[in-house]
Amino acid sequence: MNTLTQTDPKTTRRGGFDARRLGALMLRYNFIVIFFAVVVIATLLSDDFLTVRNISNLFQQASVVGIVAIGMTFVILTANIDLSVGSVVACGGMVASLLMASGWPPLLAIGAALLTGACLGALMGAIAAYAAVPSFIVTLAGLVTVRGVTYLMSNGVPIGGLPRGFGQFGSLAVPLLPGFAFPVLALLFLAVWGIAALVLRYTVFGEYVFATGGNAEAARLSGLPVRLIVTGVFAISGLLAAFSGVLLTARLRIGQPTAAQGLELDAIAAVVLGGTSLFGGRGGVVGTLFAVMLLQVLRNIFNLLGLGSFYQMTITGLIIIAAILLNRAIDSRQGRR
Amino acid sequence: MSDVVLSVDRATKIFPGNVVALEEASLSIRRGEVHCLLGANGAGKSTLLKIIAGAHLPTSGSLTLDGVPRRFRSPLDAAQAGISMIYQELDLVPQLSAAQNMLLGRVPGRWGLVDRRRRQEIAREALARVGANFGPDAQVGALSIANQQLTAIARALTLDARLIIMDEPSAALNETELERIFAVIRALTRQGIAILYVSHRMGEIRAIGDRVTALRGGRTIETFDVAGTPERSLVEAVLGRDQALLERSPRRPARDALALGVRRLRGPHGLDIADLSVREGEIVGLSGLNGSGRTSFLRALFGDLRCEADMTLRGAPFSPRRPGDAIARGVALVPEDRKLQGLVLDSAIYRNAMLPSLRRRRLIAHPAMRRTVAPVLAGLSTRYSALEQPVRQLSGGNQQKVVFAKWVIEGSRLLLLDEPSRGLDVGAKAELYALIRGLAEQGAAIIVASSELDEIYANCDRIWVFHEGRNVRCFDPALTPRDDILKAGLVGHLVAETAS
Repeated sequence: MNTLTQTDPKTTRRGGFDARRLGALMLRYNFIVIFFAVVVIATLLSDDFLTVRNISNLFQQASVVGIVAIGMTFVILTANIDLSVGSVVACGGMVASLLMASGWPPLLAIGAALLTGACLGALMGAIAAYAAVPSFIVTLAGLVTVRGVTYLMSNGVPIGGLPRGFGQFGSLAVPLLPGFAFPVLALLFLAVWGIAALVLRYTVFGEYVFATGGNAEAARLSGLPVRLIVTGVFAISGLLAAFSGVLLTARLRIGQPTAAQGLELDAIAAVVLGGTSLFGGRGGVVGTLFAVMLLQVLRNIFNLLGLGSFYQMTITGLIIIAAILLNRAIDSRQGRR
Repeated sequence: MSDVVLSVDRATKIFPGNVVALEEASLSIRRGEVHCLLGANGAGKSTLLKIIAGAHLPTSGSLTLDGVPRRFRSPLDAAQAGISMIYQELDLVPQLSAAQNMLLGRVPGRWGLVDRRRRQEIAREALARVGANFGPDAQVGALSIANQQLTAIARALTLDARLIIMDEPSAALNETELERIFAVIRALTRQGIAILYVSHRMGEIRAIGDRVTALRGGRTIETFDVAGTPERSLVEAVLGRDQALLERSPRRPARDALALGVRRLRGPHGLDIADLSVREGEIVGLSGLNGSGRTSFLRALFGDLRCEADMTLRGAPFSPRRPGDAIARGVALVPEDRKLQGLVLDSAIYRNAMLPSLRRRRLIAHPAMRRTVAPVLAGLSTRYSALEQPVRQLSGGNQQKVVFAKWVIEGSRLLLLDEPSRGLDVGAKAELYALIRGLAEQGAAIIVASSELDEIYANCDRIWVFHEGRNVRCFDPALTPRDDILKAGLVGHLVAETAS
């Protein structure tokens, strides 16, 4: 093939390229724009919205799904999916509750719960990576199995009798400034988020996660241990789900085997809404944080306006569809897929 | 002339980025003839075929079917007008039956109900015309490649095709199967159907063709009658003389130190390489037809293919089990398909370039990475606007340089290049080979596999011809005329093709 010296007007597109790029850049970070728009609307709609108490509550309520969504971001960045997180949340909470109820010291019980979550995740990830089974199927089976095991462990009934200190920890607020106390759950959520952001940006592991999701074959041929990386992201997802489960248990003050049903869908919705591509390789936890909070703010607005959960579900679903269509449009505009 | 079925008049196709795939190509096909299309890789064969079959619209030029100017908007459009294409990768659904495949999208019946009997009848009749020894109920996935091709031809017949395009049908067939396809082709031409037959094997064109049109560099060079044209003029028309690439520049003799010594390497699909060695600073070319084992050999050297190997790398035994092993020993692979295998397209240039070199580290410092990458890319004269740019935005030649940069940064000493110039224009190719020669001068040992003999003829110190998984002959291009090497690839193939 040869390159033509004179240019053909039909095949060159120059004019307005920069303007379009700027527009595309704004669209790419649409979740931030949308988030602040929604915050402004919420402030206008209700005087109760922009209060310290309400904001603290928002973060407290978002922490469980938020931590799960951060783990999910790692998984989705490698172009996989983890449907088992809701069950792992319940399982992690249950392991911690049972051990504490039988007299283990809380820290040890929590450690065991986290280890259980990480192992469950690693196991599913390893099956997906080494047996080349789609992670959708493996974790769908995990969703059912882990939930079943959780019921078996507790005989299907909630586990009470947890140490008093553990329950208090769940509703603890740390006074950051005089007169401004922030819930410890929310702080943990932000800490996990910060660590995840640093890992993705400044560690080789994070770099490998992006490369694996962007093009697994190219990553493999660059010598990356692709299957180990996939196993690793599932272990992270499982670990964070179990951590979330411990926090949820602390907040509820009981181990609830039915907890967090359907949580995986909320987490996936947040990740995708935050601009992480389901095809892998693009996105990050910044978007996830904004999306988690956006969904929480929406729920909050509905509550403040006195609209029922039926409205919440409908509108939340529609917003997710709109966001995904928007990202899709951006992708096709930039010639991806 | 009234017996011309299809004529293409000065068709030009320019792809975005001003890549001219086809330039004023003209062709006319007569009723009932087998018209062959001959050309090297990248000569524009597939583009021309796709224009005829309606998959591409020409940028300029016209297409006339039975004397009526036509403009096909889709392959379906062309098929309904009587032009059917049989792709090399057959576009059949393996899970469905032959009859279902043949009438896919045109199922006879009414109100959404399938008229099975009618479908069987149509399919049976068409299969009989191609002399198939299987029925319309046969599941396509269970049929041999030859029988699948017959199914595809029969499908074309159910569309009342007047022109059937066959894109390298012989690639996956053995001699007896090919003979069967030829018999079918002859029977069809007697019924007035024209065949456009694409191949780069001279023997086949002699056996089946009436006329042959040679393509080179996107242009139709000439149309010959097959009978009465000496092979040499055909070869000349196809290969031409691409001076920029063909001129051998004097090469410094390679160093004495042995980089890679393969005593024996055996792998799947009959891969069996013996006594092949590369010295430091030497460029060794691998030539041969598609499927001759070049890619498999390179993958085996890179630890990406299970094989039994007795090899040494710089004196020490070498048997990589995964790419990571090979990379750690200083071996690099520039894969065949840079977009699917070489690059993370949406990732930044510098992050791609650093990917193989991160394995000894745990933390990442982005500014330091950029400082490492920038001089290497400059040394490879890569053109880009920012290191943060996604690689996707670069031209093909510059993308390939990013792939090279990965291994330059990693400090690889044995470079395995699989079709490194694929999809690049002439200027970018010349630049790429200058770069390869430069790396060799710095002492890297290089193996280049290419289906374009001109390139390796001009740039390599030695050329191995591969054939059916074996390295059959080694040439010194300084002492051998190029056409001898070409014949070893083509003729060697025809002689040795017996069974399987």
